[in-house]
Amino acid sequence: MIRVGLGKPALLAVLFALPVFLDLYKAHVAVLIMLYAIVAIGLCLVMGLGGQVNLAQAAFFGTGAYASAILTATYGWNPWLAAPAAILAACAVALVVGLPALRVQSHYLGIVSLGLAVAFASVLTNATLTGGASGITRIPPLPAPGIDLTDEYNYYYLVLVVLAGVTALALFVSGTTLGRRLRAMRDDSLAAAAVGIEIPQYRLMAFVLAGLLGGVAGVLYAHLVRYVSPDTFGLGVMFLLLAMVIIGGRDSVWGVLVAAALLVAARDLLIGLQTYQQLVYGALMVGTVVFAPRGLAGVASAVRRRLPFPWPSVPVPLPWRRSAEPGPAPPAPSPRRPPQAGGPAIAVAGVSKRFRGVLALDGVSLEVAAGEIHGIIGPNGSGKTTLFNVVSGIYQPSGGRVLLHGRDVTGRRAHELSRAGVARTFQNLRLFHRLTVLENVLVALDRDPAYAHARYLLGPWSVLRRERRDRARALALLRDLGLDGAADELAVNLPYGLQRRLEIARALAAEPSVVLLDEPAAGLTAGEQDALAEVIRRIRGAGATVLVIEHNMALVMGVCERITVLAHGRVIAAGRPAEVAHDANVVEAYLGSETAREEAV
Amino acid sequence: MIGLAQTIVGGLSMGAVYALVAMGFAIVYRTIGLVNFAHADVVMIGAYVTVTFYLTARLPFGVSLALAVGLTAVMGLAMERVLRPLEGRDLDLMLIGTIGFGIVLESVAILVWGSFGTAVPTPIPNVPLHVGGVIVTTYQLLVVAVSAVVMVVLFLFLDRTRLGTAMQAAAMDRVAATAMGVDVGAANALAFAIGSAIAAVAGALVGPLLYVSPGMGASIGIKGFAAAILGGFGSIPGAIVGGLIFGLIEAFSSGPLSAYADLITFVVFALAMMVRQTGIFGERTGDRA
Repeated sequence: MIRVGLGKPALLAVLFALPVFLDLYKAHVAVLIMLYAIVAIGLCLVMGLGGQVNLAQAAFFGTGAYASAILTATYGWNPWLAAPAAILAACAVALVVGLPALRVQSHYLGIVSLGLAVAFASVLTNATLTGGASGITRIPPLPAPGIDLTDEYNYYYLVLVVLAGVTALALFVSGTTLGRRLRAMRDDSLAAAAVGIEIPQYRLMAFVLAGLLGGVAGVLYAHLVRYVSPDTFGLGVMFLLLAMVIIGGRDSVWGVLVAAALLVAARDLLIGLQTYQQLVYGALMVGTVVFAPRGLAGVASAVRRRLPFPWPSVPVPLPWRRSAEPGPAPPAPSPRRPPQAGGPAIAVAGVSKRFRGVLALDGVSLEVAAGEIHGIIGPNGSGKTTLFNVVSGIYQPSGGRVLLHGRDVTGRRAHELSRAGVARTFQNLRLFHRLTVLENVLVALDRDPAYAHARYLLGPWSVLRRERRDRARALALLRDLGLDGAADELAVNLPYGLQRRLEIARALAAEPSVVLLDEPAAGLTAGEQDALAEVIRRIRGAGATVLVIEHNMALVMGVCERITVLAHGRVIAAGRPAEVAHDANVVEAYLGSETAREEAV
Repeated sequence: MIGLAQTIVGGLSMGAVYALVAMGFAIVYRTIGLVNFAHADVVMIGAYVTVTFYLTARLPFGVSLALAVGLTAVMGLAMERVLRPLEGRDLDLMLIGTIGFGIVLESVAILVWGSFGTAVPTPIPNVPLHVGGVIVTTYQLLVVAVSAVVMVVLFLFLDRTRLGTAMQAAAMDRVAATAMGVDVGAANALAFAIGSAIAAVAGALVGPLLYVSPGMGASIGIKGFAAAILGGFGSIPGAIVGGLIFGLIEAFSSGPLSAYADLITFVVFALAMMVRQTGIFGERTGDRA
């Protein structure tokens, strides 16, 4: 059971009854609002969820509309046949615009996509196929037996049904595994890759989702207005869409819907004063980012929290959130034993890493036996984290080889290594900040490859079934680590010690055979450090191999069975803790660095 | 051969303008790490203000330009002040904030000057000079000369003065610069002011070459920005080289293919961006994990 607020069903009811109160022109405006809302939800998915700065959304909208117009008006296709083709065309354009996202992000992506959008508009204006500046007229209406879709009111209900479907799809996607992975990628693409997410595929998927919704709205637009021209899909519309998403709240589908209604209604009801309302929506955008970064959605939730009475809501039974689970609870994810016993779990052979002339790793070799807790120590800047980055696939080594359970994995990417059984934590904590604690674990726990998202098309119910099972397992893991009380808290709101523990939970959720912990004790209290030592022993007890970088000697000496010491990118000593502690090289490396530090001061 | 030289001459004068626009982007970017999407519209406002003083108030062109520079610099200060709460916190939001400012500036321009453009006469007699068969106009020479002077002055300021060094320090490490006594807030404000002032110069110069209209920012701004990136973002010499390259690409792709000039320009740019960047994580590769 979940409780559903009354606001959203009420909104749907109002939308359903609305045409009764609208004259023909206002009904037309209402249909336009819904079409823009569909396009804006597409932008919300790619930008709000996926974190991709896409300034070409209007071009996807335009592709859908123009493709449909050309196929029906110029080539005489049946509009229903042309529609899927036009939507595919919009997805294809989105895919092409998304390609640069494989290489560039943030403002670079913004300008590349904006440039492509300008190019698109100039092609529309200049090509003969698109009718040049005058556009394409005489687009046929959508034929439907018994229903006249040239009638604004009938069209209203067609678009309302599509909008409801699109909203449901967007909410479904954002609340389940695909949306979670997109949001994880938005929050921290490096950490997302380290838990097994294929970043390139997901960036493109985000764009295709945006193209899909843009295309759907484009087709509906073409057969509503029955005339398309370049200025309908230019930068002005792009910025209007952007304003909807920003003012609505970047990752809130409902917020975007409301913002679309407000902005388009303002535009068309203040006709003749268009410049003023452009001024107003520009100013609103500035005001939103400065004063209410989470947009209307953020304002709404803040207001709701301060209400003197609880927000009216009704309980709704949902099949994937039964309060009482039938049968035994599924087991928490746990580290695995390596596929075959014997031989080192990790073997690093002569690995070097060069950064523009700085040799961070210089022929490092080490072997870690399966089921061992192995410490890596060394002064700051000795290359410990670089070694982890090479072993976990974040850096490609400049030389040498890395073997995982005897298999050569040199040069594999982070997501491949995650799937091969390597999990890690980060020195400077890289949680998915705007995901909840539970979601952070879920992202890593879900080991399905990207193509498994075909389930969204082939059997949405199986997505829900898996969701239910994964949630139960994730909660079991959180309970084991004492984090279940904070399961629905945003990760960024946790106290520091719990954030560190959550990172370990996230690493374990992937059921790794090798766990890399980068300074897990940094900033922990003495009590928390004891608990950490216990967790490390438990990870090994479950069969995994643990590599731990740590400056805290009590912890290292207490839990590690073997230790490797790095200095200046080289291995200077290796052996059991007691041996290493008395090694002359090690003493010199530490004291040497101390004197060097004093000299520097 | 002469046709080629002629195309290059045409490309260089627009290229000089793009280079100025690119420098405006670059100086804000290298100081704050922010892409100012309103920059293009500041160029447009600069063009309009100059034209208004020059044609309507009948002031000399140089005086009009100076007034426009002062006004846009103040505008730059105002923008920085409004967006300051987001500095160093959420650059994507700040970027969207500048897009919002761009929309506001464009609508203000429409309200003040109307949505139709104005043709602007050249401030000096535009005499065609024949140099070895190639025609160069005096106004083209003026554009290149003024741009060159602005570039040199800016470069000297950033490279040779205390204030310029302080601005670079603010860009490299906010915290360390603050600890060394640099007022990072002031450095950011100064960057915005200088960037906007240069934008006004670019706008004033480009007016007689094109046509001054509220929508002129989009094309000039995007190309100037693309130029800044192409040259290596945040680098002043890079901005100059990038600007000239864009002017030339544009000059060569007009002609028989002029209908597709924008398409060619931006596809080439997108490809260049994909080739130049290294690693799938783009800028973030340098992060210490």
